[in-house]
This record gives sequence, structure tokens and C-alpha cells, in this order.
Amino acid sequence: MTPHPLSLDGATKRFGGFVAVDSMSFEVPRGSIVGFLGPNGAGKSTSLRMALGVIAPDEGEARLFGERPNLENLRNVGFLPEERGLYKKMSPRATIAYFARLKGMSAGAANKRADELLEAAGLGIFARSRISKLSKGMAQKVQILSTLAHQPELLVLDEPFSGLDPVNQTALEDLIVEQHKRGATILFSTHVMEHAERLCERIIMVARGKKVLDGTLEQALATLGRVARISLASEFDLEGALKPKGFEVLREEGEARWYKVALPTGVDAQEALQAAIQSGAPIAGFMPEQARLRDVFVSLVSEADAAALDASNAANPEPAHA
Amino acid sequence: MRNIYLIARRDYLGYVTSWGFWLGILLLPLIIGGSAVLPTMIRDNQPVRFYTVIEEGTEYRDLIAQTLEDRRISSVQRQLEGLLIEQPEGFRPESVEAFKQAVIGGADLQGALEAIDPGVMLTIPDEDWVYVEPPVSDEKALSPYLLGEAFLPGEGERTLFAAIVESEYPNPMTGETMPVLLYTSSNVTNEDLASAVRLASREAGRIALYDSVGLSQREVEAAADTSVPVQKVKVGATGEASAVTIADRAPFFAAVAIVFVLWFMVFSMVQYLLAGTIEERGNKIFDTLLTSANLRQLLVGKLLAVFALTLTLMGSWALGGFVISGALNAELPAMASQVIGAIGSSVLDPAILVPTIISFILGYLIFGALFLALGSLCETVQESQTLISPLLIVLMIPMFMLVMAIENPTSPILAALSWVPFLTPFLLILRLPNELPLWEISALIGLMALTTVLILWAAMKVYRAGAVHGAGVDSVGHWLKSLIPGMGSAKKAD
Repeated sequence: MTPHPLSLDGATKRFGGFVAVDSMSFEVPRGSIVGFLGPNGAGKSTSLRMALGVIAPDEGEARLFGERPNLENLRNVGFLPEERGLYKKMSPRATIAYFARLKGMSAGAANKRADELLEAAGLGIFARSRISKLSKGMAQKVQILSTLAHQPELLVLDEPFSGLDPVNQTALEDLIVEQHKRGATILFSTHVMEHAERLCERIIMVARGKKVLDGTLEQALATLGRVARISLASEFDLEGALKPKGFEVLREEGEARWYKVALPTGVDAQEALQAAIQSGAPIAGFMPEQARLRDVFVSLVSEADAAALDASNAANPEPAHA
Repeated sequence: MRNIYLIARRDYLGYVTSWGFWLGILLLPLIIGGSAVLPTMIRDNQPVRFYTVIEEGTEYRDLIAQTLEDRRISSVQRQLEGLLIEQPEGFRPESVEAFKQAVIGGADLQGALEAIDPGVMLTIPDEDWVYVEPPVSDEKALSPYLLGEAFLPGEGERTLFAAIVESEYPNPMTGETMPVLLYTSSNVTNEDLASAVRLASREAGRIALYDSVGLSQREVEAAADTSVPVQKVKVGATGEASAVTIADRAPFFAAVAIVFVLWFMVFSMVQYLLAGTIEERGNKIFDTLLTSANLRQLLVGKLLAVFALTLTLMGSWALGGFVISGALNAELPAMASQVIGAIGSSVLDPAILVPTIISFILGYLIFGALFLALGSLCETVQESQTLISPLLIVLMIPMFMLVMAIENPTSPILAALSWVPFLTPFLLILRLPNELPLWEISALIGLMALTTVLILWAAMKVYRAGAVHGAGVDSVGHWLKSLIPGMGSAKKAD
């Protein structure tokens, strides 16, 4: 069986007494685009740095193409770190060629590839300028090009969209798709869910150093119950009318006569509407709601935060007042 | 190896394409050349200065003029005596005696030089001081001439530098009147003429004494000339004595020159290593680099880059020195060519060259690794000052030792300090001309090698902490506090 391009198995990383990553396990299947999602400080970057051997896990292990990370298998990896930077006095061409050569390309091939990439990215005229003369967005493009110049089998991109304007974000999405079509396996971290929704076949979600979700986009969305929103033309006890029929009803805060009806598994939104009409509810509006990855994210992160708070309270109970 | 080469190449090209590097290449020879040549240039380009003497008769005028002329004669005579020991090509030894005889015969410098043909070029001191007749007879009216408000009679705007007036003053202790020479000048710092006046005054006293016992000055000078000459000699391994030549002193000068170059190299590489590492840390490049190369490759690549840079620096200086000395060879005085040649030969002596190369490389590695590691803890150059300052102070010690090494090369302090690991690379080189025993050279090299290994090991740890884990200057502060009993716990209690 061909090993996964990247995997973490029970990887834990502590900084002093703080557990940054706690028993993290996941695989990135060959040829997939995987979104590594989590709020700031969830342990995404630390996990990726462990996965690539930049830092060693305190427990567990990281594997690249079935082996511990080493310079040989890292040649097949392109890494865009979260904290990015370039040699400001170097030219984009020299920078791309330098990193490509460090990954094993010959000088001639690296320079040729740098020229091609810069032309394709519209940076051809800046190829020999100093990077310090480029805009921040242009410099970021150069760094992304440096990451993929050697055409790696695995691309690991840590927050690749941060700092890019919407036009360049779209261009980067296209680039990721293009690399995927080339056959590259892609793992990227983000806390902007829309990118993950558009690009990812698989989602790994982390919060407070722990994995809270690992599955396809559909599986992720399915973790949240579906809802339908109903508005009433006049006062009516919708909760009292629908509860006996198995529907949970919540009045939305701040929204006059808008209600959120939770749909039990296997029940269609139309059935909820029908039940409301049958109970005599004065329906003014109806909106079946598609669950979004953002909702899944917020829900799971909130749960993780609440669990962490509970655990903290249990570990440090408040002293009883005298 | 390929990654080390690529990292070293990138860093090296980054440094050599900066204008600061080339400025540094030009600056040191200019500073050294300037400090060596400037005093001579200032002296040689000194405008002729005029003085006058107001006295009864011409005794002091003649004695001062003679003292000034004697100085010039002595300068040439010293050169001739040095050449007699060194025997450079083309030099005619008989010219030394001929010069002396001409002087004893009463010739002035010009006359003595016309009497000889040394066969090599000599440096002839200029006539800096010229006597002029007093422009006014009243000493009180001299002020405008001394202040530059009035010019001396004759061509050009010539002002008076000093006036020497024979006068009298009452002794405050006895109340008796005493003779005095008043030296008046608007320049209160120049001692050149004033010292000549003092010598002339003493000479006048001596002449008066000789007269009182019935001796002429010529007789006294003839007696002085029969004194036994003093010559520095060295004792060889077989016990025979021979004159101390420039070749004997050259290893000491060579050692000082090498130590200065090593010191300058370490001092200048500080900025390159710090700037390079701080740039990588500040620009967040480490994570990108660390998925392409390991820490050891990074550290070695960077040290090699700066080492290659230093070789470029020294190669440029050596080439420049070779070209310039070749071009000026015909213009250089014989003694200067002799000195340059002797120093060159000393440097190439294997007994000095081999330990020097080892000290050079190990010294470079010790300081290079230290600076690189400390640089990885800093985000900015300002931050780095905190950590680097103590090291720079240590680096000043070899500079102070240079003077001691020239004047007292066997100093026990020099010997003791050479066992301090950070100073060993410098002080071993300084001590080498003293023909150290092989065991001591070996032990000092062993000490340096051990220190280098320890420093490289520690540097790798610190570099990892800075580059990978983001440790900073604060981390060093906390670590230092933790070493002091009570400091760590006090912090926790806050």
C-alpha cells in the first residue's frame, strides 16, 4: 500500500506547561486537497511544523511518504509557512531559483522554472528587481512561487490566503486547483471557511490543540442539524404547535416573529412547513437553510472551548465562600 | 554538501554585492596607510617656520642652529648605521665612516651627503626651521610678528613662529638676578624648536664649563667619539653572537600585523553574521529554510560564507598591497623595502605560518559561531547590542596586548592571558616569535580546538532555540536570572 504523503500519529507538543497540540492524528491521502481548519492558536502551525520535521513532537510521530521527515523526503514537499519572509535584497528570480536548487533542481532548470513562473504570475518585469521594491502582495506571490517551483508532490500551505486581496485570493485558489490537477497533494490551513468550502475534499478541524473533526465536506456539514426558518404574520404559539410533532422551535433573538425550526434526521424542510400550516400558523415567510462550514466551525470550536472551560473548572474548583 | 555550498554561496554573494563590503575593503588600508604615512606627510609638508634670537652676540643663535642641524645629521646617520647591519643590495658600507668623518670635519648635512655615495636611497629630513634676523630690536615690538599681524621683511607673507630673547629675571628665593632665555610663540603646543633651544642652552652651559677648565668644544667632541659603541646583539643556538637585524625583529612585527588582521576580521565579521542572521529571523525565513536544509548545514554554510568573504577581503588587500608595493618599489627608501621583505619572509616561516593558520581558523570559528548563535536570538540590530557588547569588550583585550607584545614579548601577563580560550587565537600568534616550546604551542592549539568544539555545540543549541523555537533576548535574560539563586523563585512569587 502506498503510504500517505503526510500523517501525524498521536503527535503532542508542549511549550513549558502549555499543551499546544494534544495527541493529533490524521492522514493526508495522496492526490487530495485537505483543509486544516481551526481558530487562531488552535495548534495548526505547530502541527504542520511537526509534520514537516521543523520541530520534533514530544510524543507520537510525524511521517512524510511513510518515513520520518528528512531532507530527502522533504525534497518532495513545498512549504509555505505562516510567518513568511524573503531575502529582501534578492531578486524574485534569484529567490525562486535558490529555493528550487535547495530542493535539488539544477541551476539551469531552476532559473528557467523561475522565469516561467514569474511570467505566468505577471511578475516577469520584476524578475530582477529587489524584493524590497515589490508590494507586499507581489512578495507573497514570489514566496508562493518559491514553494512550488520544484513541482513538489506535497504542498503544505499555512494560512496561504492571509494578507492577499480578494483578486489575489482567487488567483491563489486557481493556483491550488491547478497544482491539484498536476497531481499534487495539498494540505492548507486557514480560518476562512469559504476557501475550504470551495477547494477541499476533506476537512480536518482543530480547536485547543485537539482534532475535533476529520472527514469529507459533506460529513462535516452533516454534523450540524439542518434548520428551516419560518416567519409569522401575527402572534402565534408555533413552539406549542410543532413540539408535539417532534420539531424543536427557537424564536430568533431580535428578529420579530422569525423562528428557527430544527429538522430531525430524515425529515424534510417542507414537512416542517406543512406541519406549521396544518396547525393554523399565519405563515409570512419560509426559508429552508443550508448549513455552512462556518456554522460547523463555530459550533465545534464553541464546544471545544466549553469543554476546556469545564475541565479547567473541574481541575481548579472555586473555593467555597466562608 | 550541496546545500552547504548553496547556502554559503547565497550569503557570500549577498555580502559581496553590497557597497558596504567594498567600502570596508578600501577603508582599512586607508586607515592603516593613513596612520603610517600621515605623520610623515605632515612632517614632510611642514612649511618652513622662522624664528629669531635677540641676544648680545650670536652664541644662542649659533647653538640653536647647530642643534637643529645635528638632529638632521643624526637622522641620516641612524639610517646609514641601520643599513650597515642589514647590508641591502647596492649599499656601500664605507659611506658610513665617510659620513661620520665629514661631520667631524665640520661639514653640515649637505656637505656630508656630498662627501658620500651610499648606493641606496636615503630619507633626507627637510630643513624645517630657519633663523631670521630680528625684524625689530625691541622685544616688546615682536608681538605683531608672532601673532601674524605683521610680516617679516623680504619676499612673501612670512610670519615669525618664535622669538628667543636673552633676558634676566630676579630669583624669588634669593633675590639675585639670573639669566634666562625667553621662548615666545603663539603656538603653545609645539615642542620641536623649544626642545632645540633647551639643548642649545645646556650646550652653552657645557661650553662655559669646558672653557673654565681650559678645554675646547672640539676636544670634548673628539673624546666622545672615542667612546665604545653600543650594539644590540642576539645569541644564537650555538652560542655565537650576531647583530640584531630587521630580520630578527620582523617576526614580532609580523605577529602584530597578523593579530591585527585577525582582530579586524573578527570585528568586521560581527556585522555580517549578525546582519545575515537577524535578517533571516526578522524576515521569518527560517521555517522555509528548515524544510530545505538542516540546522547544521545552515550554520556551516553561513560560517563558510563569511570565511570566504574574509578571504576575499584579505586577498584584495594582499593583491592591492602587492601591486602598490611593486609600483612604489623604486620610490621606497632602502630600509622600508628591507622591512617589508623581512616581514613577508617571517609570515611565510612554517614555525609561524602553521600555528597562525590554525589559530586563524579556530579563532574565526569560535567567534563566528558565537555571533551567529547570538544573532539568531535577535529581531533587530539594536537587540543584538545587548548580547554582543560583552563579547566586543573581550575582543578589545588583544588590541591592548599588541603594545605589550612589542615592548615586552615575554611578559608573564601575556603568557597567562594566552590560556584564556577567547584570547588564545590572538595571543598565541603574538607569542609565536618568542620561539615557544612545541608542547606549549600544541597545548594552546588543543585548548583552542576544544573550545571550538564546545562553542560550536553550544552555538548549535542556541541557534536552534532562536531559529526554530523563536527564543529571544528575553529568554537569555530569564536563563541568566535562573542561574542566580533566589532570582527565579522571586519571579514566581510575584
